[in-house]
Amino acid sequence: MKHTWMRAVGIAIAVGIAALLGGCWDNRDIDHRSLPVVMGVSLSKDKYEVVLQIPETSSKGVNLRILKQKGRTINQAVDKISERMESSVDLLHLKVILVEKGYAQQGLTDSIASFMRSRDISPKTIVAICDEKLDPFFDYVKKSMTPRGTTLYDCFEKNAGWNPQMSLTRIWEVYRSIHSYTRDVAIPIIKSGRNGTIDYLGSAIIKNGRMVDQITPEETLLFNSFNGHSAQGKIEVMDKASVMILRSSMRHRSKIVQGTPYLYVQITVKVSIVETKGSVTSQSINQELEKILMKRFSGMLRKSQTREADILGLGQYFRNKIPRTQLRVWRESYLPKLRMDFRIKSIIQNDGYTKLS
Amino acid sequence: MNQQIQKLRDQFSENDDFFMLQDSFLGTPVVLLGLKSLIDVVPMKLSLQTYHAAAIESHITLDAFKKVLGEADEAVGAHEIYGSILNGKLFIYFEADDSFVIMDPIPRALNRSIETPINENVMQGSQSAFTEDIATNVGLVRKQLQSDHLRVHTHTIGTEEAKDVALVYYEGRADMDFIRRIERQFAQNKNKTIENLQQFSKEILGFPTWSMVSKFNQTELPQEAAHSLRKGRVLLFVDRLPLALVTPGMLWDAFCLDSDRNFPLPLMLFLRTVRVLGALATLILPGLYVALVSVNPEVLRIEMALSIAQTRAGVPYPAIIEIIFMFVVIELTIEASFRLPKTIGPTITMVGGIILGQAAVQAKLVSNLLIIILAATTIANSTIIGLQQSLALRISKYVVVVLASMFGVLGILEGMLLICGYLGSLTAYGIPFVGFPNAKSEANRG
Amino acid sequence: MDKSWQVALMYFIVHLGLIFFMYPGDIIASTQDGHWIPIVLGFALHLAALSLYLKGLFNWGNNDIIALYMKAGKGYAVLFLLPLAVYFFMACITVVRCSAEIMTIVMLSSTPLWAVMLTFLLIPTYFALKGITSIFRTGVLIGMMNVPIILFFFSFSFQNIDWRYVFPMIGKASFLTEPSYLESFFVFAGGFLFLGFIQPHVAFRKRYVILAAIALLPFFIFSVYIPLLTFGQSTASTFNFPFIVSLDTISITWLMFERITVFLLLSLISFLMLFLSLSLWSTMRIVHAGIPALKPRYLLVSIPVLVYVVCLAIPSWTDIVKLFWWNTYLRFYIMAAIPLSTYFLASRSKKRMVRS
Repeated sequence: MKHTWMRAVGIAIAVGIAALLGGCWDNRDIDHRSLPVVMGVSLSKDKYEVVLQIPETSSKGVNLRILKQKGRTINQAVDKISERMESSVDLLHLKVILVEKGYAQQGLTDSIASFMRSRDISPKTIVAICDEKLDPFFDYVKKSMTPRGTTLYDCFEKNAGWNPQMSLTRIWEVYRSIHSYTRDVAIPIIKSGRNGTIDYLGSAIIKNGRMVDQITPEETLLFNSFNGHSAQGKIEVMDKASVMILRSSMRHRSKIVQGTPYLYVQITVKVSIVETKGSVTSQSINQELEKILMKRFSGMLRKSQTREADILGLGQYFRNKIPRTQLRVWRESYLPKLRMDFRIKSIIQNDGYTKLS
Repeated sequence: MNQQIQKLRDQFSENDDFFMLQDSFLGTPVVLLGLKSLIDVVPMKLSLQTYHAAAIESHITLDAFKKVLGEADEAVGAHEIYGSILNGKLFIYFEADDSFVIMDPIPRALNRSIETPINENVMQGSQSAFTEDIATNVGLVRKQLQSDHLRVHTHTIGTEEAKDVALVYYEGRADMDFIRRIERQFAQNKNKTIENLQQFSKEILGFPTWSMVSKFNQTELPQEAAHSLRKGRVLLFVDRLPLALVTPGMLWDAFCLDSDRNFPLPLMLFLRTVRVLGALATLILPGLYVALVSVNPEVLRIEMALSIAQTRAGVPYPAIIEIIFMFVVIELTIEASFRLPKTIGPTITMVGGIILGQAAVQAKLVSNLLIIILAATTIANSTIIGLQQSLALRISKYVVVVLASMFGVLGILEGMLLICGYLGSLTAYGIPFVGFPNAKSEANRG
Repeated sequence: MDKSWQVALMYFIVHLGLIFFMYPGDIIASTQDGHWIPIVLGFALHLAALSLYLKGLFNWGNNDIIALYMKAGKGYAVLFLLPLAVYFFMACITVVRCSAEIMTIVMLSSTPLWAVMLTFLLIPTYFALKGITSIFRTGVLIGMMNVPIILFFFSFSFQNIDWRYVFPMIGKASFLTEPSYLESFFVFAGGFLFLGFIQPHVAFRKRYVILAAIALLPFFIFSVYIPLLTFGQSTASTFNFPFIVSLDTISITWLMFERITVFLLLSLISFLMLFLSLSLWSTMRIVHAGIPALKPRYLLVSIPVLVYVVCLAIPSWTDIVKLFWWNTYLRFYIMAAIPLSTYFLASRSKKRMVRS
């Protein structure tokens, strides 16, 4: 009997301690946290300006709240915002980091490294560049976008508003490009549109964390398909017709002759015809398509070679041919010399419901 | 009047259902003693007369007639006589030679007939359930399992208050060490009184009291009982308890029913998977709510995080208080629905479940999502087999919830680890609770 | 009763728990290319040590190595068992401190470290108090719950890889002298020693354990190669826990959860707790053999208390790394000396038995 009582008292004490411990450190409930979805960062005169877009939940629905602060570091600015809010700011759910173009041109290396380091910000967060001042952009977003909380992020989500002309680059990819010898990335550039839309201007070529050039949305499409992201469902406009790319596949061969890298790439595109203008034959469409894609690709390659930024990850194909010590200088000494034999083969998989005359 | 009879009469003097009748058999006067509440007197006398008439016709001696009536043991002491009267036997005293016979008379019908199970539902299986009478129960098992390997040992336990206990096992499949161990426990604790199963398991079998999981798996169904016999387990019947106690209890009992095997194999597997999922959901869901809401919101998707935050907006206390509060309400509802007559039970459930829940949400006392979690948990809790197991599950989810409120998702894991560790540590006379009954019986056989 | 598959499962999951934290980082830091060479070399050494150890154990028969050394003489016992106890103790400290640190980095930013470490010790202590057979049964339950989770997320971790990062395949042998490579042997040395202690309580067959060890090879390889193939060597070498970071880059759109790292991490932690409980139990056995006056129950409570105190005294991550490095000498001594001595002592006693 005594034993039983001891047991009961023991359990009661354990439960009591557990209850006390529960209050020992502050775990804030989800409704007392502000979860910003978009963060804008710009740098002027050695001071970071941080803009947070915070969906504010109430029982009626979601309101967007835009808050700005300046600070010596990004974190300081965030803390300042947190101080001024009634609930604390957690960057746990940050989905998009929007960088002002000027800051991107100066170099993002430090910020990206600290984003990777911090446990709050997920490495999956999307990075984008804003081609105007952050203030007007966010004002525009607040004014024009339906208050759903995640709207801006939805533009980039693969199963929502994303389209294959948009490059989709996450923090960890940017971080990788900073350290990697053979790979750079492209970051989408956006701008406020007119009628409540966000305009997509193309992609920035980022080399070692700095924006060095820009490619057009059409080139980005090619970039995406080259890198194996689905370019599916995209409508490609030509003089005579527009087609939808259904699938694309790639074959490549690489070799190095006397220090000059040679790369042979063949991309096979399967398309379906959506719209035609005048009389066209499938042959002419094929020719046209191949010509256009060739032109775009060589344009992009030229940009990449002159800027010594390997957004296509061409160096990846030579990793087994060049020793590691030489890979280090791939961008400077090999990439500009790269000879590329690029072929595009298009196949019209079907012409829709109607016959092509 | 003999001294022994006098003593018996004194002992029963405070009992109005005690009867003492004078009669005469083959010319000798006899006294019949017994309890009216246990013996149906009129048919008893009629049957005695039939015996008597037959005896006169066949001209047998008095001694032979005594043998016909029942056991005529001279050596039986006063205490045993007293016990057998309490047990519903008829005591016949022959005044002439100071001898007596204890006879099995026609008893009063104090047992209900075999009915369908009340606390367990059977899908496509045998519908008869155990009753209070121990002999009936053993008979039901014998009907279910017609084998010459079936062994039944009956013990009467307790001196002050007697109780019959039957031990049934399948010879050749059951672990004989285990049975010897139980028999030894019975022999050792023969004189202890058992009023309930708690005492039975502690005093007689020596199992620890503070065990969350009972060492017996209880079943009302002869089919399940027979199945566990075949699996090498031991059945214990306690008189007046309409249950078979299957020992050692095993974890898998909570998920596997023998009547599942009446379904095709894929359906059976599906049913069992659902039960396992139910148990896991009961343990994890409430903890997950607490962990995700108060400690680790980053694990949620942003859309869900926002909608949860929205439903929680205005709830004045932390998630752990919220969930414990609602769980207490649910526990009260469940307990109340046990207590209430079947006719008003559903009304209370309705008031408790629907109206109270809805009102609590509208009054902003709890969040919508919590009500969903609560309902899912309560439903999932009932998927596992056995009332006791489901109760143990109901309690153990609090461990997970409390730990989750402190350590978030890690707390859920810690709670699950503790539960696993606890289950892993349970044994009954060396047979682990977490084991495969099949493997053991095979190991035993070969 | 034969519990081979329980032992094999335990062996498997204990190693899984150890692999994914420090090992990838150490291997990636040890060489710039051809990472498979150090992995396979380490694995081969591990397999050799394991099979020697098992051979010794089975020559010795149905008893544990404490009895073996005790029989061989007090000197042997001090020479081998004392370092072993110290090693187990150190392993407990590093594992508790490391995993608690990782937990606070990854998911529990506001929970104090002492509380996390406390639970990381309380649960294994509870397991160990319940006895070795109970640890193994618990291991089976935990394995059934968590191995599917691990396999699920492990298979998803291939999402972002680029196979071309495999090249160059051939590297230099310079990794042999790298401190981080020597540290990586923590994975190999820690896990197999418990086999020598369980024997009279839990019987098992050799083959199962060897099979479990071989089944681990893909996990060793991919724990290193997944971060390498996702990030490339030069990026991966900047991380403290490359595998965990590379897991963080995975997105599964249909899953209702966002940071799936948490789930994999939790499963690993549960395996580590089993490792801790085994280590605590083995340490208890050694100390108990040395000082039989101390009751096992009290030892099992006091050893974790000691571990906890030491863990509290370690102020920072760099100190853990330092501790890890000091441990290296002991680790190699243990890894070489215990299997060899077990083998020789056991075969000697077997010969003697045959002769007499």
